[in-house]
Amino acid sequence: MHAAFPLPDVDWPPTRELFAGAARGELRVTRCNLCASLVWYPGTPCRTCGAERQEWVTVSGRGTLFSWSVVRFPWIPQFASIVPFATGLVALEEDPRVRLVSRIVDCPIESLHADMRLTVDFRPLRFDGLAGEVVVPLFRPGPK
Amino acid sequence: MSQPVRMPRGVASGPDPRGVASAPTALSLDLGRATRVVSPPMAATDWGFASDLEDVSGQIAIVGIGDADPSKASGRTTHEIAGQAAERAIADAGLTARDVDGLMYVPFSGDQMDASAFHAHFGTSHDLWTSTRGGGMVWAGSAPHEAALAIRSGQAKYVLNTFSVAWATQRPQMVGGPGHVHAEDLYKQNLEVPFGWFPQPVYFANIATRHMHEYGTTSEQLGAIAVACRRHANLTPGAVMHGKPLTLEQYLASPLIADPFRKEDCCLISDGGAAYVMTSLERARDLAQPIVAVLGVGVGNAKSGVYWSQQGDFTATPQQFAAPHTFAMAGVEPDDVDVLACYDPFTIVSLMQIEDMGFCAKGDGGRFVSGDTLHFDSGKLPYNTHGGMLSHAYVLGIAHVTEIVRQLRGAAAAQVPDAQVGVYGGYTGPQASTLVLGRR
Repeated sequence: MHAAFPLPDVDWPPTRELFAGAARGELRVTRCNLCASLVWYPGTPCRTCGAERQEWVTVSGRGTLFSWSVVRFPWIPQFASIVPFATGLVALEEDPRVRLVSRIVDCPIESLHADMRLTVDFRPLRFDGLAGEVVVPLFRPGPK
Repeated sequence: MSQPVRMPRGVASGPDPRGVASAPTALSLDLGRATRVVSPPMAATDWGFASDLEDVSGQIAIVGIGDADPSKASGRTTHEIAGQAAERAIADAGLTARDVDGLMYVPFSGDQMDASAFHAHFGTSHDLWTSTRGGGMVWAGSAPHEAALAIRSGQAKYVLNTFSVAWATQRPQMVGGPGHVHAEDLYKQNLEVPFGWFPQPVYFANIATRHMHEYGTTSEQLGAIAVACRRHANLTPGAVMHGKPLTLEQYLASPLIADPFRKEDCCLISDGGAAYVMTSLERARDLAQPIVAVLGVGVGNAKSGVYWSQQGDFTATPQQFAAPHTFAMAGVEPDDVDVLACYDPFTIVSLMQIEDMGFCAKGDGGRFVSGDTLHFDSGKLPYNTHGGMLSHAYVLGIAHVTEIVRQLRGAAAAQVPDAQVGVYGGYTGPQASTLVLGRR
Protein backbone atom coordinates (compact mmCIF):
# COMPACT_ATOMS: atom_id res chain seq x y z
CA MET A 1 0.00 0.00 0.00
CA HIS A 2 1.42 3.41 -0.95
CA ALA A 3 1.86 6.06 1.74
CA ALA A 4 -1.12 8.23 0.82
CA PHE A 5 -3.69 5.39 0.81
CA PRO A 6 -6.66 5.84 0.41
CA LEU A 7 -5.76 8.82 -1.79
CA PRO A 8 -4.87 7.75 -5.33
CA ASP A 9 -1.21 7.49 -6.29
CA VAL A 10 -1.04 10.18 -8.98
CA ASP A 11 2.29 8.81 -10.20
CA TRP A 12 1.10 5.29 -11.02
CA PRO A 13 1.52 5.20 -14.82
CA PRO A 14 -1.67 3.39 -15.86
CA THR A 15 -3.99 5.94 -14.20
CA ARG A 16 -1.75 9.03 -13.99
CA GLU A 17 -3.55 10.83 -16.83
CA LEU A 18 -6.95 10.51 -15.16
CA PHE A 19 -5.72 12.62 -12.25
CA ALA A 20 -3.60 14.95 -14.38
CA GLY A 21 -6.70 15.61 -16.50
CA ALA A 22 -8.85 16.18 -13.44
CA ALA A 23 -6.40 18.81 -12.21
CA ARG A 24 -6.89 20.62 -15.56
CA GLY A 25 -10.67 20.21 -15.44
CA GLU A 26 -10.87 17.49 -18.08
CA LEU A 27 -12.36 14.02 -17.77
CA ARG A 28 -9.90 11.69 -19.46
CA VAL A 29 -10.44 8.04 -20.36
CA THR A 30 -8.71 5.67 -22.76
CA ARG A 31 -9.77 4.80 -26.30
CA CYS A 32 -8.76 1.74 -28.29
CA ASN A 33 -6.27 2.57 -31.04
CA LEU A 34 -7.70 -0.12 -33.27
CA CYS A 35 -11.51 0.10 -33.04
CA ALA A 36 -11.95 3.45 -31.24
CA SER A 37 -14.11 1.97 -28.47
CA LEU A 38 -13.62 3.46 -25.05
CA VAL A 39 -11.61 1.17 -22.77
CA TRP A 40 -11.78 1.09 -19.00
CA TYR A 41 -9.76 0.30 -16.87
CA PRO A 42 -6.81 1.88 -18.68
CA GLY A 43 -4.29 -0.66 -19.88
CA THR A 44 -6.73 -3.54 -19.96
CA PRO A 45 -7.61 -5.21 -23.27
CA CYS A 46 -10.38 -3.62 -25.34
CA ARG A 47 -13.58 -5.51 -24.67
CA THR A 48 -14.78 -4.91 -28.23
CA CYS A 49 -11.77 -6.07 -30.23
CA GLY A 50 -9.23 -7.33 -27.70
CA ALA A 51 -6.50 -4.88 -28.74
CA GLU A 52 -4.24 -3.60 -26.00
CA ARG A 53 -2.97 -0.23 -27.34
CA GLN A 54 -4.88 2.84 -26.29
CA GLU A 55 -4.72 6.62 -26.23
CA TRP A 56 -6.19 9.07 -23.74
CA VAL A 57 -9.13 11.17 -24.88
CA THR A 58 -11.31 13.81 -23.24
CA VAL A 59 -15.00 13.01 -22.80
CA SER A 60 -17.96 15.23 -22.02
CA GLY A 61 -18.23 14.45 -18.32
CA ARG A 62 -21.91 13.59 -18.70
CA GLY A 63 -23.35 10.25 -17.72
CA THR A 64 -26.02 8.39 -15.81
CA LEU A 65 -26.06 6.70 -12.42
CA PHE A 66 -25.78 2.99 -13.17
CA SER A 67 -25.71 1.86 -9.55
CA TRP A 68 -24.66 2.99 -6.10
CA SER A 69 -24.60 2.28 -2.41
CA VAL A 70 -24.91 4.64 0.50
CA VAL A 71 -22.01 3.61 2.72
CA ARG A 72 -22.78 4.09 6.40
CA PHE A 73 -20.02 1.99 7.96
CA PRO A 74 -16.42 3.24 7.53
CA TRP A 75 -14.58 0.14 6.36
CA ILE A 76 -11.69 2.46 5.52
CA PRO A 77 -10.98 4.45 8.71
CA GLN A 78 -10.26 7.66 6.77
CA PHE A 79 -13.86 7.65 5.55
CA ALA A 80 -15.24 7.86 9.10
CA SER A 81 -15.75 11.63 8.90
CA ILE A 82 -17.73 11.53 5.65
CA VAL A 83 -20.17 8.65 6.19
CA PRO A 84 -22.86 8.34 5.05
CA PHE A 85 -21.76 8.91 1.45
CA ALA A 86 -22.92 7.62 -1.93
CA THR A 87 -20.40 5.69 -3.98
CA GLY A 88 -21.39 4.25 -7.29
CA LEU A 89 -20.88 3.69 -10.98
CA VAL A 90 -21.39 6.38 -13.59
CA ALA A 91 -22.15 5.13 -17.11
CA LEU A 92 -20.54 7.54 -19.57
CA GLU A 93 -22.71 9.24 -22.18
CA GLU A 94 -20.20 8.35 -24.91
CA ASP A 95 -20.38 4.61 -24.09
CA PRO A 96 -22.50 3.44 -21.15
CA ARG A 97 -20.51 0.20 -20.99
CA VAL A 98 -17.75 2.29 -19.45
CA ARG A 99 -18.59 2.80 -15.80
CA LEU A 100 -16.48 5.16 -13.73
CA VAL A 101 -16.34 4.52 -10.03
CA SER A 102 -17.02 7.81 -8.27
CA ARG A 103 -18.86 9.49 -5.45
CA ILE A 104 -22.17 11.24 -6.03
CA VAL A 105 -22.19 14.66 -4.37
CA ASP A 106 -24.64 17.53 -3.93
CA CYS A 107 -27.55 15.10 -3.93
CA PRO A 108 -29.68 14.09 -0.96
CA ILE A 109 -29.49 10.33 -0.40
CA GLU A 110 -33.26 10.03 -0.83
CA SER A 111 -33.04 11.61 -4.28
CA LEU A 112 -30.61 9.08 -5.74
CA HIS A 113 -32.23 6.97 -8.44
CA ALA A 114 -31.10 4.61 -11.14
CA ASP A 115 -30.18 6.15 -14.48
CA MET A 116 -30.39 9.74 -13.17
CA ARG A 117 -28.34 12.22 -15.20
CA LEU A 118 -25.01 13.23 -13.74
CA THR A 119 -22.26 15.71 -14.56
CA VAL A 120 -18.63 15.56 -13.55
CA ASP A 121 -17.28 17.99 -10.97
CA PHE A 122 -13.57 18.11 -10.24
CA ARG A 123 -12.91 18.50 -6.56
CA PRO A 124 -9.98 18.03 -4.20
CA LEU A 125 -10.13 14.81 -2.22
CA ARG A 126 -8.68 15.03 1.30
CA PHE A 127 -8.79 12.78 4.30
CA ASP A 128 -8.51 13.62 7.98
CA GLY A 129 -5.08 12.85 9.33
CA LEU A 130 -3.55 12.49 5.88
CA ALA A 131 -1.37 15.14 4.29
CA GLY A 132 -2.07 16.28 0.75
CA GLU A 133 -5.00 16.27 -1.60
CA VAL A 134 -5.75 15.02 -5.09
CA VAL A 135 -8.26 16.53 -7.50
CA VAL A 136 -10.59 13.75 -8.64
CA PRO A 137 -13.69 13.48 -10.81
CA LEU A 138 -16.81 13.38 -8.65
CA PHE A 139 -20.37 13.59 -10.03
CA ARG A 140 -23.37 15.73 -9.18
CA PRO A 141 -26.95 15.70 -10.50
CA GLY A 142 -27.68 17.44 -13.76
CA PRO A 143 -28.23 18.80 -16.26
CA LYS A 144 -32.00 18.48 -15.94
CA MET B 1 1.50 -14.43 -3.33
CA SER B 2 4.69 -14.75 -5.35
CA GLN B 3 3.36 -16.60 -8.37
CA PRO B 4 2.27 -14.62 -11.41
CA VAL B 5 -1.36 -14.69 -12.44
CA ARG B 6 -1.79 -17.11 -15.30
CA MET B 7 -4.88 -16.63 -17.37
CA PRO B 8 -6.55 -19.30 -19.49
CA ARG B 9 -5.04 -19.48 -22.95
CA GLY B 10 -6.78 -18.24 -26.04
CA VAL B 11 -9.08 -15.72 -24.45
CA ALA B 12 -9.04 -12.05 -23.73
CA SER B 13 -8.14 -12.19 -20.10
CA GLY B 14 -9.78 -9.04 -18.82
CA PRO B 15 -7.96 -6.57 -16.63
CA ASP B 16 -4.57 -8.01 -15.84
CA PRO B 17 -2.25 -5.68 -14.00
CA ARG B 18 0.72 -7.69 -15.14
CA GLY B 19 4.00 -6.61 -13.82
CA VAL B 20 2.77 -3.46 -12.18
CA ALA B 21 0.41 -4.64 -9.48
CA SER B 22 0.72 -7.29 -6.85
CA ALA B 23 -1.94 -9.35 -8.52
CA PRO B 24 -4.27 -11.37 -6.32
CA THR B 25 -3.09 -14.80 -7.39
CA ALA B 26 -5.73 -16.66 -5.51
CA LEU B 27 -8.50 -14.89 -7.38
CA SER B 28 -7.51 -16.34 -10.73
CA LEU B 29 -8.39 -19.90 -11.53
CA ASP B 30 -5.74 -21.78 -13.40
CA LEU B 31 -6.79 -25.21 -14.53
CA GLY B 32 -3.50 -25.48 -16.38
CA ARG B 33 -2.63 -28.36 -18.59
CA ALA B 34 -5.59 -30.41 -17.51
CA THR B 35 -7.99 -28.39 -19.61
CA ARG B 36 -8.55 -26.54 -22.81
CA VAL B 37 -10.40 -23.26 -22.74
CA VAL B 38 -12.63 -22.15 -25.56
CA SER B 39 -15.02 -19.30 -26.08
CA PRO B 40 -18.64 -20.43 -26.24
CA PRO B 41 -20.82 -19.58 -29.22
CA MET B 42 -22.99 -17.20 -27.20
CA ALA B 43 -22.83 -13.62 -28.43
CA ALA B 44 -25.41 -12.29 -26.00
CA THR B 45 -23.31 -13.32 -23.02
CA ASP B 46 -19.88 -12.34 -24.24
CA TRP B 47 -18.77 -11.04 -20.86
CA GLY B 48 -17.62 -14.51 -19.90
CA PHE B 49 -17.18 -18.07 -21.01
CA ALA B 50 -17.17 -21.66 -19.83
CA SER B 51 -13.99 -23.65 -19.43
CA ASP B 52 -14.15 -26.73 -21.62
CA LEU B 53 -13.66 -29.53 -19.10
CA GLU B 54 -13.29 -33.16 -20.03
CA ASP B 55 -16.18 -35.38 -18.91
CA VAL B 56 -15.40 -37.03 -15.58
CA SER B 57 -18.95 -38.00 -14.65
CA GLY B 58 -19.21 -41.02 -12.39
CA GLN B 59 -15.49 -41.67 -12.24
CA ILE B 60 -14.70 -40.70 -8.65
CA ALA B 61 -16.46 -40.37 -5.32
CA ILE B 62 -16.03 -38.28 -2.20
CA VAL B 63 -15.39 -40.96 0.41
CA GLY B 64 -14.34 -38.96 3.47
CA ILE B 65 -15.28 -35.58 4.88
CA GLY B 66 -14.03 -33.63 7.86
CA ASP B 67 -14.91 -30.22 9.24
CA ALA B 68 -12.56 -28.40 11.59
CA ASP B 69 -14.40 -26.75 14.47
CA PRO B 70 -15.70 -23.41 13.14
CA SER B 71 -15.30 -20.44 15.46
CA LYS B 72 -14.75 -16.76 15.98
CA ALA B 73 -11.17 -15.74 16.83
CA SER B 74 -9.63 -18.84 18.38
CA GLY B 75 -5.87 -18.33 18.33
CA ARG B 76 -5.44 -21.34 16.05
CA THR B 77 -3.21 -21.39 12.98
CA THR B 78 -4.40 -22.43 9.54
CA HIS B 79 -2.14 -25.49 9.76
CA GLU B 80 -3.75 -26.57 13.03
CA ILE B 81 -7.20 -26.06 11.54
CA ALA B 82 -6.39 -27.93 8.33
CA GLY B 83 -4.78 -30.71 10.35
CA GLN B 84 -7.93 -31.25 12.36
CA ALA B 85 -10.09 -31.25 9.23
CA ALA B 86 -7.74 -33.64 7.44
CA GLU B 87 -7.59 -36.06 10.39
CA ARG B 88 -11.36 -36.17 10.50
CA ALA B 89 -11.76 -36.60 6.73
CA ILE B 90 -9.22 -39.43 6.57
CA ALA B 91 -10.76 -41.21 9.57
CA ASP B 92 -14.24 -40.73 8.13
CA ALA B 93 -13.09 -42.57 5.00
CA GLY B 94 -11.65 -45.40 7.10
CA LEU B 95 -8.16 -44.64 5.84
CA THR B 96 -4.86 -43.61 7.41
CA ALA B 97 -2.67 -40.65 6.53
CA ARG B 98 -0.24 -43.07 4.82
CA ASP B 99 -3.04 -44.06 2.39
CA VAL B 100 -3.38 -40.47 1.15
CA ASP B 101 -1.13 -40.09 -1.87
CA GLY B 102 -2.60 -36.94 -3.38
CA LEU B 103 -2.97 -33.48 -1.87
CA MET B 104 -4.77 -30.41 -3.19
CA TYR B 105 -4.65 -26.89 -1.77
CA VAL B 106 -4.48 -23.29 -2.92
CA PRO B 107 -1.34 -21.17 -2.55
CA PHE B 108 -3.66 -18.47 -1.19
CA SER B 109 -1.87 -16.51 1.54
CA GLY B 110 0.92 -19.11 1.67
CA ASP B 111 -0.33 -20.81 4.79
CA GLN B 112 -2.34 -23.73 3.48
CA MET B 113 -1.66 -27.44 4.02
CA ASP B 114 1.00 -28.26 1.42
CA ALA B 115 3.02 -31.48 1.36
CA SER B 116 5.47 -30.39 4.05
CA ALA B 117 2.65 -29.26 6.35
CA PHE B 118 0.84 -32.55 5.73
CA HIS B 119 3.91 -34.59 6.63
CA ALA B 120 4.69 -32.38 9.62
CA HIS B 121 1.17 -32.90 10.93
CA PHE B 122 0.94 -36.64 10.38
CA GLY B 123 4.60 -37.63 10.84
CA THR B 124 4.72 -39.17 7.37
CA SER B 125 7.24 -38.85 4.56
CA HIS B 126 5.79 -40.73 1.58
CA ASP B 127 5.50 -39.34 -1.94
CA LEU B 128 2.46 -37.14 -2.56
CA TRP B 129 1.00 -36.05 -5.88
CA THR B 130 0.13 -32.40 -5.25
CA SER B 131 -1.92 -29.74 -6.97
CA THR B 132 -2.29 -26.05 -6.10
CA ARG B 133 -5.66 -25.93 -7.83
CA GLY B 134 -7.58 -27.11 -4.79
CA GLY B 135 -8.81 -25.44 -1.62
CA GLY B 136 -12.01 -23.46 -1.05
CA MET B 137 -14.03 -20.88 -3.00
CA VAL B 138 -14.38 -21.82 -6.66
CA TRP B 139 -11.77 -24.56 -6.22
CA ALA B 140 -13.84 -26.41 -3.62
CA GLY B 141 -16.08 -27.22 -6.58
CA SER B 142 -13.51 -27.64 -9.33
CA ALA B 143 -10.87 -29.67 -7.44
CA PRO B 144 -12.72 -32.96 -8.11
CA HIS B 145 -12.12 -32.46 -11.83
CA GLU B 146 -8.36 -32.41 -11.54
CA ALA B 147 -8.48 -35.14 -8.89
CA ALA B 148 -10.47 -37.34 -11.28
CA LEU B 149 -7.82 -36.93 -13.98
CA ALA B 150 -5.03 -37.73 -11.50
CA ILE B 151 -6.86 -40.78 -10.13
CA ARG B 152 -7.73 -42.04 -13.60
CA SER B 153 -4.14 -41.76 -14.79
CA GLY B 154 -2.80 -43.52 -11.72
CA GLN B 155 -0.97 -40.50 -10.33
CA ALA B 156 -2.86 -40.86 -7.05
CA LYS B 157 -5.35 -43.23 -5.43
CA TYR B 158 -6.67 -41.15 -2.55
CA VAL B 159 -6.67 -37.37 -3.01
CA LEU B 160 -7.23 -35.05 -0.06
CA ASN B 161 -8.44 -31.48 -0.66
CA THR B 162 -8.21 -29.07 2.27
CA PHE B 163 -8.83 -25.40 2.98
CA SER B 164 -8.53 -23.44 6.22
CA VAL B 165 -8.63 -19.82 7.35
CA ALA B 166 -7.82 -18.03 10.59
CA TRP B 167 -9.08 -14.64 9.47
CA ALA B 168 -10.99 -14.04 12.71
CA THR B 169 -7.78 -14.55 14.68
CA GLN B 170 -5.76 -12.46 12.22
CA ARG B 171 -8.22 -9.58 11.98
CA PRO B 172 -6.63 -7.39 14.70
CA GLN B 173 -3.32 -7.49 12.81
CA MET B 174 -5.09 -6.48 9.56
CA VAL B 175 -3.44 -9.32 7.69
CA GLY B 176 -5.25 -11.81 5.55
CA GLY B 177 -8.96 -11.37 5.18
CA PRO B 178 -10.97 -10.60 2.09
CA GLY B 179 -10.38 -6.85 2.05
CA HIS B 180 -6.60 -7.18 2.42
CA VAL B 181 -6.23 -9.08 -0.84
CA HIS B 182 -8.20 -6.49 -2.79
CA ALA B 183 -6.55 -3.46 -1.13
CA GLU B 184 -3.22 -4.53 -2.63
CA ASP B 185 -4.54 -4.32 -6.20
CA LEU B 186 -3.26 -1.09 -7.75
CA TYR B 187 -6.25 -0.56 -10.05
CA LYS B 188 -8.49 -0.76 -7.02
CA GLN B 189 -6.19 1.54 -5.03
CA ASN B 190 -6.41 4.21 -7.70
CA LEU B 191 -9.81 3.83 -9.37
CA GLU B 192 -12.04 2.42 -6.62
CA VAL B 193 -10.72 2.93 -3.08
CA PRO B 194 -10.39 6.76 -3.22
CA PHE B 195 -14.12 6.95 -3.98
CA GLY B 196 -15.08 4.66 -1.11
CA TRP B 197 -15.94 1.81 -3.50
CA PHE B 198 -14.34 -0.72 -1.20
CA PRO B 199 -14.34 -3.39 0.18
CA GLN B 200 -16.49 -6.27 -1.01
CA PRO B 201 -19.72 -5.32 0.82
CA VAL B 202 -19.72 -2.07 -1.17
CA TYR B 203 -19.23 -3.78 -4.53
CA PHE B 204 -22.04 -6.21 -3.88
CA ALA B 205 -24.32 -3.55 -2.41
CA ASN B 206 -23.98 -1.79 -5.78
CA ILE B 207 -24.85 -5.03 -7.54
CA ALA B 208 -27.87 -5.48 -5.28
CA THR B 209 -29.03 -1.92 -5.96
CA ARG B 210 -28.93 -2.54 -9.70
CA HIS B 211 -30.62 -5.95 -9.35
CA MET B 212 -33.41 -4.24 -7.42
CA HIS B 213 -33.75 -1.65 -10.17
CA GLU B 214 -33.74 -4.11 -13.06
CA TYR B 215 -35.86 -6.86 -11.55
CA GLY B 216 -37.80 -5.40 -8.64
CA THR B 217 -35.92 -7.41 -6.02
CA THR B 218 -36.72 -6.28 -2.46
CA SER B 219 -35.06 -6.18 0.94
CA GLU B 220 -37.64 -8.69 2.20
CA GLN B 221 -36.46 -11.13 -0.46
CA LEU B 222 -32.80 -10.69 0.45
CA GLY B 223 -33.83 -11.12 4.07
CA ALA B 224 -35.51 -14.44 3.30
CA ILE B 225 -32.09 -15.81 2.35
CA ALA B 226 -30.47 -14.60 5.57
CA VAL B 227 -33.34 -16.00 7.65
CA ALA B 228 -33.20 -19.44 6.00
CA CYS B 229 -29.45 -19.66 6.55
CA ARG B 230 -29.76 -18.59 10.17
CA ARG B 231 -32.47 -21.18 10.80
CA HIS B 232 -30.17 -23.87 9.44
CA ALA B 233 -27.26 -22.66 11.60
CA ASN B 234 -29.53 -22.96 14.61
CA LEU B 235 -30.05 -26.62 13.73
CA THR B 236 -26.31 -27.20 13.23
CA PRO B 237 -24.26 -27.73 16.40
CA GLY B 238 -21.05 -25.72 16.29
CA ALA B 239 -22.24 -23.19 13.73
CA VAL B 240 -20.92 -19.77 14.71
CA MET B 241 -24.42 -18.24 14.80
CA HIS B 242 -25.99 -21.25 16.54
CA GLY B 243 -28.24 -19.98 19.31
CA LYS B 244 -28.86 -16.63 17.65
CA PRO B 245 -32.21 -16.84 15.89
CA LEU B 246 -33.11 -14.29 13.23
CA THR B 247 -36.60 -13.42 12.03
CA LEU B 248 -37.46 -11.45 8.92
CA GLU B 249 -38.82 -8.71 11.18
CA GLN B 250 -35.51 -8.52 13.05
CA TYR B 251 -33.66 -8.44 9.76
CA LEU B 252 -35.73 -5.56 8.41
CA ALA B 253 -35.42 -3.63 11.68
CA SER B 254 -31.62 -3.88 11.74
CA PRO B 255 -29.57 -0.90 10.53
CA LEU B 256 -28.25 -0.52 7.00
CA ILE B 257 -24.46 -0.59 6.67
CA ALA B 258 -24.14 -0.15 2.88
CA ASP B 259 -27.58 0.25 1.29
CA PRO B 260 -29.34 -2.06 0.65
CA PHE B 261 -27.20 -4.29 2.87
CA ARG B 262 -27.54 -4.90 6.54
CA LYS B 263 -24.97 -6.77 8.58
CA GLU B 264 -27.01 -9.94 8.11
CA ASP B 265 -26.60 -9.74 4.32
CA CYS B 266 -22.85 -10.17 4.76
CA CYS B 267 -20.82 -13.24 5.63
CA LEU B 268 -19.03 -13.76 8.92
CA ILE B 269 -15.28 -13.53 9.46
CA SER B 270 -14.26 -16.87 10.97
CA ASP B 271 -11.62 -19.42 11.82
CA GLY B 272 -12.26 -22.85 10.37
CA GLY B 273 -11.92 -25.15 7.44
CA ALA B 274 -12.75 -28.53 6.06
CA ALA B 275 -11.33 -31.35 3.99
CA TYR B 276 -12.54 -34.15 1.77
CA VAL B 277 -11.04 -37.33 0.35
CA MET B 278 -11.65 -38.50 -3.22
CA THR B 279 -10.97 -41.84 -4.88
CA SER B 280 -12.17 -43.96 -7.78
CA LEU B 281 -15.70 -45.27 -7.76
CA GLU B 282 -14.31 -48.82 -7.67
CA ARG B 283 -12.24 -48.22 -4.53
CA ALA B 284 -15.11 -46.28 -2.97
CA ARG B 285 -17.19 -49.46 -2.94
CA ASP B 286 -14.70 -51.06 -0.52
CA LEU B 287 -14.80 -48.14 1.94
CA ALA B 288 -16.96 -47.41 4.93
CA GLN B 289 -19.29 -44.67 3.78
CA PRO B 290 -22.27 -44.58 1.43
CA ILE B 291 -21.06 -43.67 -2.03
CA VAL B 292 -21.36 -40.02 -3.06
CA ALA B 293 -20.23 -39.82 -6.68
CA VAL B 294 -18.98 -36.79 -8.60
CA LEU B 295 -21.49 -36.50 -11.44
CA GLY B 296 -20.40 -33.22 -12.99
CA VAL B 297 -17.90 -30.37 -12.69
CA GLY B 298 -17.93 -27.07 -14.55
CA VAL B 299 -16.18 -23.72 -14.43
CA GLY B 300 -17.36 -20.34 -15.71
CA ASN B 301 -15.21 -17.24 -16.14
CA ALA B 302 -15.85 -13.47 -16.20
CA LYS B 303 -13.54 -11.50 -18.50
CA SER B 304 -13.65 -8.52 -16.16
CA GLY B 305 -11.83 -10.46 -13.45
CA VAL B 306 -11.93 -8.87 -10.02
CA TYR B 307 -13.12 -5.53 -11.45
CA TRP B 308 -16.83 -5.95 -10.87
CA SER B 309 -17.48 -2.34 -11.91
CA GLN B 310 -16.82 -3.31 -15.53
CA GLN B 311 -18.57 -6.70 -15.62
CA GLY B 312 -20.65 -6.78 -18.79
CA ASP B 313 -23.73 -8.20 -17.08
CA PHE B 314 -23.44 -6.48 -13.73
CA THR B 315 -26.21 -8.46 -12.04
CA ALA B 316 -25.06 -11.95 -12.98
CA THR B 317 -22.40 -14.46 -12.00
CA PRO B 318 -20.26 -16.78 -14.13
CA GLN B 319 -22.57 -19.56 -12.97
CA GLN B 320 -24.35 -18.70 -16.22
CA PHE B 321 -21.40 -20.33 -17.97
CA ALA B 322 -20.48 -23.03 -15.43
CA ALA B 323 -23.84 -24.56 -14.58
CA PRO B 324 -25.23 -25.55 -18.01
CA HIS B 325 -22.07 -27.49 -18.88
CA THR B 326 -22.07 -29.18 -15.49
CA PHE B 327 -25.69 -30.21 -15.51
CA ALA B 328 -25.22 -31.61 -19.01
CA MET B 329 -22.14 -33.58 -17.89
CA ALA B 330 -24.08 -34.92 -14.92
CA GLY B 331 -27.19 -35.69 -16.93
CA VAL B 332 -29.43 -33.81 -14.51
CA GLU B 333 -31.72 -30.79 -14.66
CA PRO B 334 -32.14 -28.14 -11.99
CA ASP B 335 -35.45 -29.80 -11.10
CA ASP B 336 -33.57 -32.96 -10.13
CA VAL B 337 -31.53 -31.18 -7.45
CA ASP B 338 -32.58 -32.06 -3.90
CA VAL B 339 -30.18 -29.79 -2.02
CA LEU B 340 -28.07 -26.80 -3.05
CA ALA B 341 -25.17 -25.00 -1.38
CA CYS B 342 -23.64 -21.87 -2.91
CA TYR B 343 -20.68 -19.75 -1.91
CA ASP B 344 -22.52 -16.94 -0.20
CA PRO B 345 -20.45 -13.91 0.74
CA PHE B 346 -23.63 -11.80 0.45
CA THR B 347 -27.32 -12.55 0.11
CA ILE B 348 -27.36 -11.13 -3.41
CA VAL B 349 -24.64 -13.58 -4.50
CA SER B 350 -26.86 -16.47 -3.38
CA LEU B 351 -29.79 -15.01 -5.24
CA MET B 352 -27.86 -14.42 -8.47
CA GLN B 353 -26.31 -17.90 -8.47
CA ILE B 354 -29.73 -19.49 -7.93
CA GLU B 355 -30.95 -17.60 -11.00
CA ASP B 356 -27.82 -18.21 -13.05
CA MET B 357 -27.87 -21.97 -12.36
CA GLY B 358 -31.38 -22.11 -13.77
CA PHE B 359 -33.42 -22.82 -10.64
CA CYS B 360 -35.67 -19.94 -11.72
CA ALA B 361 -35.74 -17.45 -14.58
CA LYS B 362 -33.17 -14.63 -14.53
CA GLY B 363 -34.64 -11.81 -12.51
CA ASP B 364 -37.18 -14.00 -10.71
CA GLY B 365 -34.72 -14.88 -7.95
CA GLY B 366 -36.24 -12.49 -5.43
CA ARG B 367 -39.73 -13.87 -5.79
CA PHE B 368 -38.35 -17.42 -5.91
CA VAL B 369 -36.41 -17.25 -2.62
CA SER B 370 -39.11 -15.47 -0.64
CA GLY B 371 -41.02 -17.37 2.01
CA ASP B 372 -39.71 -20.81 2.94
CA THR B 373 -38.33 -21.92 -0.45
CA LEU B 374 -34.75 -22.26 0.80
CA HIS B 375 -35.57 -24.01 4.08
CA PHE B 376 -34.41 -27.61 4.51
CA ASP B 377 -37.94 -28.85 5.10
CA SER B 378 -39.70 -26.83 2.40
CA GLY B 379 -39.70 -29.53 -0.25
CA LYS B 380 -38.63 -26.79 -2.68
CA LEU B 381 -34.94 -25.85 -2.90
CA PRO B 382 -33.19 -26.58 0.42
CA TYR B 383 -30.22 -24.23 0.45
CA ASN B 384 -27.07 -23.88 2.57
CA THR B 385 -28.51 -26.31 5.06
CA HIS B 386 -25.59 -25.83 7.49
CA GLY B 387 -26.08 -22.06 7.55
CA GLY B 388 -23.60 -21.08 4.85
CA MET B 389 -21.03 -18.33 5.19
CA LEU B 390 -23.69 -15.99 6.52
CA SER B 391 -24.41 -18.08 9.62
CA HIS B 392 -22.31 -21.29 9.82
CA ALA B 393 -18.78 -19.93 9.27
CA TYR B 394 -16.82 -18.05 6.64
CA VAL B 395 -14.61 -20.93 5.58
CA LEU B 396 -14.92 -20.04 1.92
CA GLY B 397 -17.11 -22.80 0.60
CA ILE B 398 -15.19 -25.93 1.61
CA ALA B 399 -17.75 -26.67 4.35
CA HIS B 400 -20.52 -26.30 1.79
CA VAL B 401 -19.13 -29.34 -0.02
CA THR B 402 -18.82 -31.44 3.14
CA GLU B 403 -22.41 -30.47 4.00
CA ILE B 404 -23.69 -31.61 0.61
CA VAL B 405 -21.94 -34.95 1.12
CA ARG B 406 -23.52 -35.29 4.57
CA GLN B 407 -26.93 -34.57 3.05
CA LEU B 408 -26.46 -37.26 0.41
CA ARG B 409 -25.41 -39.73 3.11
CA GLY B 410 -28.56 -38.86 5.08
CA ALA B 411 -26.42 -37.68 7.98
CA ALA B 412 -26.91 -33.89 8.06
CA ALA B 413 -28.23 -31.99 11.07
CA ALA B 414 -30.93 -30.26 9.01
CA GLN B 415 -31.47 -33.31 6.84
CA VAL B 416 -33.40 -33.07 3.59
CA PRO B 417 -35.51 -36.23 3.29
CA ASP B 418 -34.07 -38.75 0.81
CA ALA B 419 -31.62 -36.35 -0.81
CA GLN B 420 -30.17 -38.02 -3.91
CA VAL B 421 -28.65 -35.17 -5.92
CA GLY B 422 -26.76 -32.25 -4.37
CA VAL B 423 -25.01 -29.27 -5.95
CA TYR B 424 -22.30 -26.88 -4.81
CA GLY B 425 -21.92 -23.51 -6.52
CA GLY B 426 -18.45 -22.05 -6.04
CA TYR B 427 -17.70 -18.39 -6.66
CA THR B 428 -14.82 -15.96 -6.58
CA GLY B 429 -16.21 -13.24 -8.84
CA PRO B 430 -13.82 -13.87 -11.73
CA GLN B 431 -14.88 -17.52 -11.73
CA ALA B 432 -17.71 -19.76 -10.67
CA SER B 433 -17.75 -23.52 -10.40
CA THR B 434 -20.56 -26.03 -10.30
CA LEU B 435 -20.17 -29.44 -8.68
CA VAL B 436 -22.95 -32.02 -8.97
CA LEU B 437 -22.82 -34.90 -6.50
CA GLY B 438 -25.12 -37.91 -6.42
CA ARG B 439 -25.80 -40.79 -4.08
CA ARG B 440 -24.99 -44.16 -5.63
